[in-house]
Amino acid sequence: MKHRLLSFLLFFSFLQMQGADPAYIQHPDTVSDFPDDVFVLDEVKIYGKSAAKKLEEGAFAVNAVEITPNINKSVTLNDIVDRTAGVKVRREGGMGSEFDLTINGMSGNSIRYFIDGVPLETKGSGLTLDNVPLNTVERVELYKGVVPSYLSSDALGGAVNIVTKKSRRNFLDASYGIASFHTHTGDITGQYYIPGTLIAIRPTLSIKYSKNDYMMKGVEVWSEEEDRYIFTDKRRFHDDYFSIFGQIEAGVNNTRWADMFFVGVSYNKLDKDIQTGAMQNKVYGEASRNSHSFNISARYAKNWGAVSTRLNLSHTWDHSETVDTAYRKYSWDGTWMPSSGNELNNKGKTIRVYRRPLTVLNAGIDYNVNEYHTFAFNYMLNRRGNDRYDRVDKFFEPSNDIITKHILSLTYSQAFFDQKWQTSYFVKDYINALSIEQSDDFTITGSDQIEKKNSKSYWGAGVGTRYTIWELLAVKGSYEHSVRLPLSRELLGNGTTVYANLALSPETSNNYNLGLFGTWMANDDNQLSYEANGFIRHVQNYIRATVSEREGMMQYVNEPAIDIKGFDFEVSYWWRRQLQISLNGSWSDARDLKKYKTDGNPSATYKNRVPNRPWMFGNVDVSYNFNSLLEKEDRLRIGAAYQYIHWYFLNWEAFGAVSSKARIPTQNITDISITYSWKKDRFNLSLECNNIFDRLAYDNYMLQKPGRSFAAKFRIFIN
Amino acid sequence: MRKIKFLLLSFMALFIAFGMTSCSNEDEPKQDEDPTIIQDYHFDLWVALDRHGGMGRDVQTLVRSVNSLEADQPEITFQGQGTEVNSILSLETILKGAYYYQVPVSGDRFAKYTIKDNQIQVVKERRFQTNTYSTRKYTHAWINDNTLVIMASNGEGDKIVWTKLNADDMTIIAEGNLDVKMPEGGEIYTTAGILNYRASDNKLFYFYYAKTGGKRGQRVTPMMTAVIDPATMAVESDTPCFLDCEMVGTAYGELLQTTTFIDGNNNLYIACVTDDAEGNEHSHLLKIPANSTSFDQSYDGFTAEGKLISVMYLGNNKVMAYAREDKIGTDIDAFSHYYTVIDVVSKSSTPVTFNGQRLAYSSGRFSSRMAYVNHKAYIGVDAEGQKPQIYIYDVTSGQTSLGATMASGYYFEQIRVVEDVK
Repeated sequence: MKHRLLSFLLFFSFLQMQGADPAYIQHPDTVSDFPDDVFVLDEVKIYGKSAAKKLEEGAFAVNAVEITPNINKSVTLNDIVDRTAGVKVRREGGMGSEFDLTINGMSGNSIRYFIDGVPLETKGSGLTLDNVPLNTVERVELYKGVVPSYLSSDALGGAVNIVTKKSRRNFLDASYGIASFHTHTGDITGQYYIPGTLIAIRPTLSIKYSKNDYMMKGVEVWSEEEDRYIFTDKRRFHDDYFSIFGQIEAGVNNTRWADMFFVGVSYNKLDKDIQTGAMQNKVYGEASRNSHSFNISARYAKNWGAVSTRLNLSHTWDHSETVDTAYRKYSWDGTWMPSSGNELNNKGKTIRVYRRPLTVLNAGIDYNVNEYHTFAFNYMLNRRGNDRYDRVDKFFEPSNDIITKHILSLTYSQAFFDQKWQTSYFVKDYINALSIEQSDDFTITGSDQIEKKNSKSYWGAGVGTRYTIWELLAVKGSYEHSVRLPLSRELLGNGTTVYANLALSPETSNNYNLGLFGTWMANDDNQLSYEANGFIRHVQNYIRATVSEREGMMQYVNEPAIDIKGFDFEVSYWWRRQLQISLNGSWSDARDLKKYKTDGNPSATYKNRVPNRPWMFGNVDVSYNFNSLLEKEDRLRIGAAYQYIHWYFLNWEAFGAVSSKARIPTQNITDISITYSWKKDRFNLSLECNNIFDRLAYDNYMLQKPGRSFAAKFRIFIN
Repeated sequence: MRKIKFLLLSFMALFIAFGMTSCSNEDEPKQDEDPTIIQDYHFDLWVALDRHGGMGRDVQTLVRSVNSLEADQPEITFQGQGTEVNSILSLETILKGAYYYQVPVSGDRFAKYTIKDNQIQVVKERRFQTNTYSTRKYTHAWINDNTLVIMASNGEGDKIVWTKLNADDMTIIAEGNLDVKMPEGGEIYTTAGILNYRASDNKLFYFYYAKTGGKRGQRVTPMMTAVIDPATMAVESDTPCFLDCEMVGTAYGELLQTTTFIDGNNNLYIACVTDDAEGNEHSHLLKIPANSTSFDQSYDGFTAEGKLISVMYLGNNKVMAYAREDKIGTDIDAFSHYYTVIDVVSKSSTPVTFNGQRLAYSSGRFSSRMAYVNHKAYIGVDAEGQKPQIYIYDVTSGQTSLGATMASGYYFEQIRVVEDVK
């Protein structure tokens, strides 16, 4: 009896400490939202696994990254996921620059982004992993290759799902950061329950600004004195970035008719100067991109005993424009000369406007047959408009495309041997519905070969399984035949420079993962966990842009693509709760599978390594916590992070003399940080130095990233 | 006295004979001196890896220099060999003597380069001043060995801009706008047009046309010919062609392929194309006779089916042409391109043969695998199911022999004859 009482008190206090409420007790699955913690009470110990840890130990290959350890630092979600195994974020510059996230060798349109299971694009095209407010995020899930069906996505290479915090208490979380290159960030989020009601209000506001005026090393500037180009160091001068994201949600929890019902509105605005083209010797001083979007949404969830249901509905008005109206040619010293054309492509003035309304409906129903068997059905509607016109270019031919996707999925999950063996089987149906009005250029677009209104259906399926032999050793494997439907631009063209290809087939991929993981608790103080994954991606019908002869028009076509195999691993060690060391590494080998050239003759690059992609990289993170340093419940955390990216060729490696070949050099980047938290983490101050050795860093050829920088951030959390 | 006279005469005769012999010895090399003969040169072979170049495509381009393209050479490969150029240079380039000239990939300068020891070496660069040009999209002409004129339409497409360069140090001698009027109904000019210089009457000939705006703009004039005074760049005349035609290439000048030439009698030729009622293209080789600035309306040097792609004057009224058999295919990759020798006097064209067999059709709409040096034309055939093969056409004999072979797998783009840097 005493033991039961102790257990109850212990569990209750555990919930209290985690800020949970009784709702978690009603849904056993959500208990897993607790982070890794160890509580010692006399000789009784409880080892709690965080949701992230449990997810990683599930059947799918996934990195689940807790944000809490980094929440006080001046970092973005991109910075955080970039340090995880198998993931690489390639940037073109500083804050707000274009980036490309790669998961196990696949990137670009192959990766889909979600926030709480809903496509991130519903928040507007301006919201990315760079400017999602960090203090709203609980964790980031990075699915490698095989994507669970509840995300209802046509992702080919993986998916990123941002899981936001769902605390059910009043709180306020605010932070301000200042950093090198005139960078300022401010985030504020909170939750307030109207007294006497079940109604909660959740406001969020995030503002980010940076001039990104970091030093560019060794750039070319024309010297009148020397009558030649000279190499010198100059600061970026036209790379301002401003982003604001505001959202307010209101709703209820735990009513008779809904476990959760929230409605929300959000607004996002982004202004970005354009400093360079694809290489740093193309310098711009006036061109910019701006976007703003407005979103309304509703979310609903309800458990009906063995059946649980959920519904998300969202509509977004998205507006973006690219402004290029200066007839100027800029240099790195900020001077300019008159030009015969605009900055970006030496053509006429342009203010290109894109209006892309988006409607998303996501509905799901789960049925727990018993503790061994579960069925889940999910449906997603994604309707995207694409209205383009130009404010000043009178020759631009406006176009208005609409493309609708329906994705249905059915999952069957089973768990045996006391949850040691878990398996999920899923099948997905991708339906692409088109309404085509255009009929010109039928010989090129194939519009005479299809019905004007048509829908096509494509099937995908997969399985993921995990078996835990011991805590020290578990095995998991997964497979998916995935499909990526063509984007509207790829399928319908853009009315000006891209021909439609209405006969375009979706990309497909067979994704295989096999992994081992486990945790070794040597004793009370020492814990070691590891995970290793191998993967194979075989992509077919790769969608690639090609150029038609007449009039220089582009067109997207299907081609055989690439075969990627590789592995990644991560090892973490903890000593007490003070020292943490983690090490991860990734290696991949992508080979060109195009056996024949476009003219039908054998291709020289067949089975060659695909160029211009990082293929070996790794990270080491070390942190140490000093507890109760100045006062009873304070904490000082010092950390260092090192990142290695092996050099790689810009072009096919086998061809051309090595001495003549362009390459992206090896990166060795070291960051250090110190964070002091006091009053039970109510107040937090972080100081950081990134790229402390001021190493030259490129992710793309000749596009320098910032050198050494400093940042400070103050965060207050009132709960 | 007789003896003295005899000795004197003998001495004089000997002296004259010796002198004549000496003169004769000095003159001997002159008998072989042909001003068109180049002593020290090599070939630069340009290939692309991912797809054919042209149409403004960004392709991975490699250049390999070889001293000979004779059949006894080892198979040409780019495995670990050649210079990777595409991060600096585009496939579209001007070549004169030992130097490449172009608006490089950076798109902000005029530049002069050599490619040597697998490295691109900058000889001289010059930042744009007022007129700016896009990489790949301009036309050019040499007024003399050191003066290069660059020309293209501006960003709006409503003006033709020009820049005159000193090719020695790439200094900008002068620049301005061409004084031509937009024809009625026209909104923009052709992207680059075609420019040529005829020394015999010291005229620049600029071929262009006007069209409606937009990517699918329609041509509203026949090909126009602006005759320009190269000293002042003043337009002396601007007249439409008698034929409702356009140049076979309009966007890239003659950076990839040549579409004009001047024969030994100072007649200027240009390859053009017309559309028939069904939209099929038919090429013509039109002529502006020497000392005239107008087309000879009675002349068409190419009456075969299909489209002329590139023409290269060989001397003796012979032209090597790269043409396309449209019935076989019009795509960039279509194996429908063939070599033919045009006689500009008889206006006949004879497909090139080897061992009595017509050479196989090649792919590559924008390829330029023709080079001429020392009375030989080197032509590259990139045929279906075969390794790229070079043939050598002897201009004097009219015979074709087998040349070097290239390993398969590459998009064979160009053969360039480059003088060695002295």
